[in-house]
Amino acid sequence: MQGSFFRRSSAAGLPAGSGSALPALLLVGLFFIVPVVALLLRSVTDPEPGLQNYAALFGSGTYVRVFLNTFLVASVVTAVTILVAFPVAWMLAIMPPAMGSVVFGIIILSMWTNLLTRTYAWMVLLQRTGVINRALMGLGVIHEPLPLINNLAGVTIGMVYIMLPFMILPLVGTLRAIDPMTLRAAALCGASPFEAFRRILLPLSLPGIAAGGLMIFVMSLGYFVTPALLGGTSNMMLAEMITQTVQSLLNWGLGSAAAFVLLVVTMALYAIQLRLVGAKHAGGGI
Amino acid sequence: MLLDYDRLGWLRVALVGFTAAVAAFLLLPVVFIVLLSFGSSRWLAFPPPGWTLKWYQQLLDDPTWIDAALTSARIAAMAAILAVVIGLFASFSLVRGEFRGRQVLRGLLLTPMVLPVVVFAIAIYAFFLRIGLAGTTVGFVIAHTILALPFAIIPITAALEGFDKSIEDAAIVCGASPLQARLRITLPSIRIGIFSAAIFSFLASWDEVVVAIFMASPTLQTLPVKIWGSLRADLSPVVAAASSLLVGLTLCLMIVTALLRRKLSR
Repeated sequence: MQGSFFRRSSAAGLPAGSGSALPALLLVGLFFIVPVVALLLRSVTDPEPGLQNYAALFGSGTYVRVFLNTFLVASVVTAVTILVAFPVAWMLAIMPPAMGSVVFGIIILSMWTNLLTRTYAWMVLLQRTGVINRALMGLGVIHEPLPLINNLAGVTIGMVYIMLPFMILPLVGTLRAIDPMTLRAAALCGASPFEAFRRILLPLSLPGIAAGGLMIFVMSLGYFVTPALLGGTSNMMLAEMITQTVQSLLNWGLGSAAAFVLLVVTMALYAIQLRLVGAKHAGGGI
Repeated sequence: MLLDYDRLGWLRVALVGFTAAVAAFLLLPVVFIVLLSFGSSRWLAFPPPGWTLKWYQQLLDDPTWIDAALTSARIAAMAAILAVVIGLFASFSLVRGEFRGRQVLRGLLLTPMVLPVVVFAIAIYAFFLRIGLAGTTVGFVIAHTILALPFAIIPITAALEGFDKSIEDAAIVCGASPLQARLRITLPSIRIGIFSAAIFSFLASWDEVVVAIFMASPTLQTLPVKIWGSLRADLSPVVAAASSLLVGLTLCLMIVTALLRRKLSR
């Protein structure tokens, strides 16, 4: 009873304290659950009842390649993000605050900058005649421009750029929660820095790495903007395929089926993530 | 001594170097785009052959850009207000309610943040086509409010969990009505959470591309849709000018946030 904003919920015959969640529940129910369920129904009824959309999806080499490519990109992005984020989070956790706050500022600036702006910058930076290719050629590292855009390399660079803050920020929390005494004890007992890292620091930060990594994998699976702009036609990802199927081909049945597959995979991984970190901390980046 | 900054030895040099490199990587596109917007090359040559303000001139002379920015601001403001108000009510129930399924409810209300936006985008687009809300401001605001709601609920529930309810009870014992106690004691105490909720939900709508691409009509375009269209057509430097203004806006928002947080947390 004490939960609701106006303390009226039990009078209305609702479970104690649930009343003030009603507007949110109505909004999400009517404009989120209903449309999503309607879409899923469409995947088995459009153009006619049956599973033919799913048969088309899994029976065609083109679509299977899109699935595989989506998993490949998400895996590569997740792995690279973890490897890059860990040392940075480690330093941020122990750096003097004055230095750390500069790096935090840069992370927030990059994270809050418009997504399209960041992707646009990478499109210009990575193109054949772009700054990166010219700089590398100027330094004599390469003689021919590297193909950095419209392929896996471009998507990886662009996506890792976007995902890094979502990995670094939660990891800083994980690392700060580790008691430095445990590592001091390891050193006293004769552990080399490498051993202390492998047997203490890494295992203790593993839950944070797993939770963050899973979140990034899930986010990457359904990503649309960056792969569409930095990726090539030969390695299209699922979100772009769904958009094209619905928007250009007007094939709602097939698009809905692909969306349902994406939904099932995402929700299954989300459930695992909730197990790992608990519902409370599922917010991740914010 | 791996968690002792002063005793890391040679490792510290390597790790600080790496951190600096990653910070530079994160900063590179933002700085680059601002420099580029002042460059005179139509073909985005860098370093630019000369400096100019003509891309800003073109941007401000083009009413479609201004319209798109105003549309975005209008929709984001409405979505943020709705998300914060609805999220505030929901948070009270999520934090203090004593009913079964509270965690399920929480999970449900946060789902729009986890579900790939593209799935929600085509679902709500199909739904709005049917009920005649596709391409309307109302449709835009509803869809963006759904997406913004988790970004409002997370900071507000966090603030509410950190608030000691016995203070509110004390106010009631001293004669305040429950509503008065909430409005005059509880809400001011969780204002940082509410403020973060407002910022995050505004940004969630302001930066949203995927739903917007579906929802937009020739007469109703948000800024990201306008940028998206320009990026697909050509890499015009006008986009760099628009992008730089967005970077400037982000910086202002960061400064305001930092100042307000400092002020509010006193």
